[in-house]
Amino acid sequence: MNTSTSNLKDKVVKRAVNSLRKSKRIEQLSFVAIANELNVRVDEIQAFYTTTEDIFLEAQKKDWESLHRYWDRHIKKSKTPGDFKNAFEIFFERFVETLSDDADLRLELSCYLPKCIKYREKNRERVKQKLKNLIKRGWPGKDEKVLARQTELVTVLFYGFVDHVVHIPKTERTKILRDFRNMLNLHLQDRKFF
Amino acid sequence: MKVDVQKKVKIIHKAMDSIRKSDKTLHTIAFPRLAQELDIPFDEITEFFLSIEDIFLNEQRRVNRKIENFLETGLKNAKTANDAKELLEKAFLTFIELLPDYSDLVFSASFYLPKCIEERNRAKKYYKQVFRKIIKKGWPGKIDAVLDRQTDLVLLSAYGFYEYCATVGKRERKVILKDFNNMINLHLQDRLFF
Repeated sequence: MNTSTSNLKDKVVKRAVNSLRKSKRIEQLSFVAIANELNVRVDEIQAFYTTTEDIFLEAQKKDWESLHRYWDRHIKKSKTPGDFKNAFEIFFERFVETLSDDADLRLELSCYLPKCIKYREKNRERVKQKLKNLIKRGWPGKDEKVLARQTELVTVLFYGFVDHVVHIPKTERTKILRDFRNMLNLHLQDRKFF
Repeated sequence: MKVDVQKKVKIIHKAMDSIRKSDKTLHTIAFPRLAQELDIPFDEITEFFLSIEDIFLNEQRRVNRKIENFLETGLKNAKTANDAKELLEKAFLTFIELLPDYSDLVFSASFYLPKCIEERNRAKKYYKQVFRKIIKKGWPGKIDAVLDRQTDLVLLSAYGFYEYCATVGKRERKVILKDFNNMINLHLQDRLFF
């Protein structure tokens, strides 16, 4: 994708989010209105998106793919349990760092629009698998059952964390991230898990 | 159950079925079409609900109201720290038992439909203050700053737990409940909290 295409897509997302913030109704979003506001032709926007729902789906995918790429680089480099623990923590750190200003709205749409929900579910499974791998190698010695139960809990907590951080100011996000990571650590240190 | 309550419940169930089958965003489901699908006169629906949003709001409030009553009564009757601890555990059990089969749809609606967002925000504030009271009573001796931070973590965990339980069957909800309660306990036992 060249820079001008990427810029236009970013602008479309921004306009769509702004418009949604004002109207609160996705059905009031239109390609014509966005094209007028951006001073481009409607077909230039339609070249990328079929429906307004696609705008948010693409934005959701872009954010997550970028986070996965970053995370994978760290996982790939990991050799020791310490490295894997670090890769585990880096995921949460990077997630918080890269949250956009409109992360609250994006989360709301990802929980509401059917295509975005489907992507969210698929991605949740992908995140869960990676977390499982990192827990297994970062906190070795757990049996399969314990690993599966602890991974499920960490995933459940992460999605609660997502819902929480997007609705609080940026300065508070890093504070709760520290506590959240400590809570997960305490949980994962319990080798036999009750 | 009174006859009109039965009718109301029937409308809710059929509406949820219809929405699930249609695989469309909730706001696109029109009331007249719903009446047609239910094969009942339009005014029988409007006797109870004015819009699709009202159906979801009703469901959201129904669960919240029951949990809030449970927590208020429990808190009033909790005399010892153990009573408070037990209250928190039982609240999560009551919650999963109250969740209907279509709670995933209600969960989605709470992220988009304005009245449902409002109810979600109200409930979140309520749970935050009630969890704080329970934690203070059940795990005494924490300083205020620790109490606030731990309350936030329990709150975000509870919302992650809600998201998970809303999308899985009743059996899976019960399976994770035990681990979830143990983890919350482990976290709250840490009196000085790092």
